Amino acid sequence: MSDATPEPLKGTDLVTDLGQRIRITPVSRRVFIQGSGMAGFAAFLAACGGGTATETLKPSDGPGPTGTVAPSGPATIEGPLNFANWPAYVDLTEDESSSPTLTDFEAKYSIEVNYQEEIEANEDFYATIAPQLGAGLDSGWDIIVLTDYMAARVVRAGWIEEIDAAATPTAHANVRDELRGLAWDPDMKFHFPWQSGATGVGYNVVSTGRELTKVADLFDPAFKGKVTLLSGYADTFSLVGLLLKARGEISNEPASMTYEDAQKVHAFLKPYVDDGHIRAFTGNEYLQDFGSGDTWAAAVWSGDLASSGGPDDRFEFPEEGSIIWTDNMLIPKGAQHKPAAEAMIDFVYDVANAARLAAWIYYISPVKGVAEEIAKTDPDTAANPLLFPPADIAANMFPQPALEDADDIKWADLAADLEGA
Amino acid sequence: MFRSRRAIPYLLIGPGLLWLILFFVVPNVQMLLFSLSEGTLRTGFKTPPEVWDIQNYTGSIAKFSKNFTNSIVYGGLATILCFLIGYPLAYAILFLVIAPFFTSFLIRTISWRIILGNDGPFLSVVRDGLGLVPDNFSVIGTPLAVVGGLTYQFLPFMVLPLYVSIEKVDRRLIEAAQDLYAGPWRRGGLIAGAIAGAFVLVALQVGLGYGHIVGEDAAPAAVIAAGLVGAVAGGAIGTTLISQSFIRVTFPLSLPGVFAASILTFIPAIGDYVNAQLLGSPKTQMIGNVIQGRFLDQNDYPIAAALAFILMAGILVSIALYARLLGTEELTGGTA
Repeated sequence: MSDATPEPLKGTDLVTDLGQRIRITPVSRRVFIQGSGMAGFAAFLAACGGGTATETLKPSDGPGPTGTVAPSGPATIEGPLNFANWPAYVDLTEDESSSPTLTDFEAKYSIEVNYQEEIEANEDFYATIAPQLGAGLDSGWDIIVLTDYMAARVVRAGWIEEIDAAATPTAHANVRDELRGLAWDPDMKFHFPWQSGATGVGYNVVSTGRELTKVADLFDPAFKGKVTLLSGYADTFSLVGLLLKARGEISNEPASMTYEDAQKVHAFLKPYVDDGHIRAFTGNEYLQDFGSGDTWAAAVWSGDLASSGGPDDRFEFPEEGSIIWTDNMLIPKGAQHKPAAEAMIDFVYDVANAARLAAWIYYISPVKGVAEEIAKTDPDTAANPLLFPPADIAANMFPQPALEDADDIKWADLAADLEGA
Repeated sequence: MFRSRRAIPYLLIGPGLLWLILFFVVPNVQMLLFSLSEGTLRTGFKTPPEVWDIQNYTGSIAKFSKNFTNSIVYGGLATILCFLIGYPLAYAILFLVIAPFFTSFLIRTISWRIILGNDGPFLSVVRDGLGLVPDNFSVIGTPLAVVGGLTYQFLPFMVLPLYVSIEKVDRRLIEAAQDLYAGPWRRGGLIAGAIAGAFVLVALQVGLGYGHIVGEDAAPAAVIAAGLVGAVAGGAIGTTLISQSFIRVTFPLSLPGVFAASILTFIPAIGDYVNAQLLGSPKTQMIGNVIQGRFLDQNDYPIAAALAFILMAGILVSIALYARLLGTEELTGGTA
């Protein structure tokens, strides 16, 4: 739109008008488009879950297959296997450039694994796959990993492929007995556990200056502004529910807590949020906050600080009790590479592979015989309570509430009110 | 021949129009329908004409008024700070302002976490080195961190339009003004600088919730002291640096740029949620955080859509008012 506008366009009212507007009006439609484009960009970032912690592992990375891998494998399996998992949830090589487990799998089946650390919260990830699955479309993933209550929800919705038992004999043979017979999938038709873990108290012993042993320690006034809890109600409300139960203020275990109990938890936490004692509600980001010294004590998941935290970061199973949960591998309806997904499920249930995973990620393996396998080479790790909780701790672990939709909305509202949004 | 000539402009705007319809009008109509619906992603939605749930709007305004306030206060403060920082910058060092913005938005916000963090360089100087603040002092999680992040993120949106409009000002007009005895703007500069300086410091202290930062509410004496400090500093800057030719020639001629720049800054700043999430606390969550949480965590599309519409309507109304106040006929398109 300069003075050199070609003659034929001159004289048409519309073009002149547009030209003038663009020239003399700084606030044109462009402003609005750029403004909304910015918002869209931010939403895109959120949808990518940060997008910084992802990696695509190629077959050429890392060492070749080790002796623990069975030499034969069916040739008909096609890739790439699109695998969505949580951060810090797969073993890595020394230089953290690749994962031995995934490299071995790729070598065995000659397919690529597109492994993405895409899941930071069940609800967020659910929102990214629900529209496609609800419409009967492929979600783009071949394996997703969701916590019990969310896994049960998507299985109930009919959005999960049945796992071929003939293709997963190792998994069926090796899954630990206490993980079988769940109400939402009694015969392991739709899911296999990836790892179990506990929610408890994490702290940096140098910052706090003392050892923490209880949930109540998170509310020590000395730690004001340096405490974070987990977002959503599933972990935080369960853990604080145990604290209130120990004080006799509520009588139910987390799994059977009523809405009134949840309101008591909310009422207990609200003043701590208002006076700034609790600085944030987070997902896995607490790892960065421990690293930068902004968090001294927090509600955390059991394996993270051991696998990815600093030397002074500790995890404690609190005296009031801890929360036990399982993250489950599921194959979404319409997955493009179902045989590859089944091969992966079977692969990680091989005792040697499971032992290598468990020894790195520090969560509770769902595979029988892992403790014995690890004990052969590393007795210290085999005695680690994070991987193999001793009987007294195991007896003091409680599952999360599994709520129906109507209750879920009301609880989520309570949690959102605390989180300030 | 005449017919085809009349069709040309329509053909030319066709692709743009189509783009707008596909990516602006359609999603907005869908969002409007959602904002009047009931239900969540899980329970399914009842949409108009089945239900017309106005409650989504009326209820949300009351329920999330604090978040709206946060958004307006933080977004507004960030815009004002951007202006005060950006105008001098636009004069001189454009490239330095733009250079960091070749990096991703998210990376830059996370870098702020590290810089302002407990073990970061800022506190290691202010707290450990100079001992100006107590040991348990923290910047992360305060409104100051959020406004700081917003100001930093949206500075280029302020600087670029300002630069364009300042650069266009005819130097000969300034020379002419000086020929006509436009000298230093002593008294005016003193008054304007003092008012602006006092406002900024008082706003930073009150608007940002002094209590968040030091754990106690701002005493009236502290507010007055801050106002005085701001007034003295602003007055000094105003008297020495602002000339009459600037206030009578350069600034009025750059007003279209000021208008465009402040809107370009304010709109994304008010809708932002990344800064509040990464740098803030539960008490500093902005309306963008609520919308994000409702959409993604709770899958409560109707409330999220209603909130988005309220925000959009609020922005449109305030821009219209702003255009009336600041805009000349040129700015509002002559006939608007």
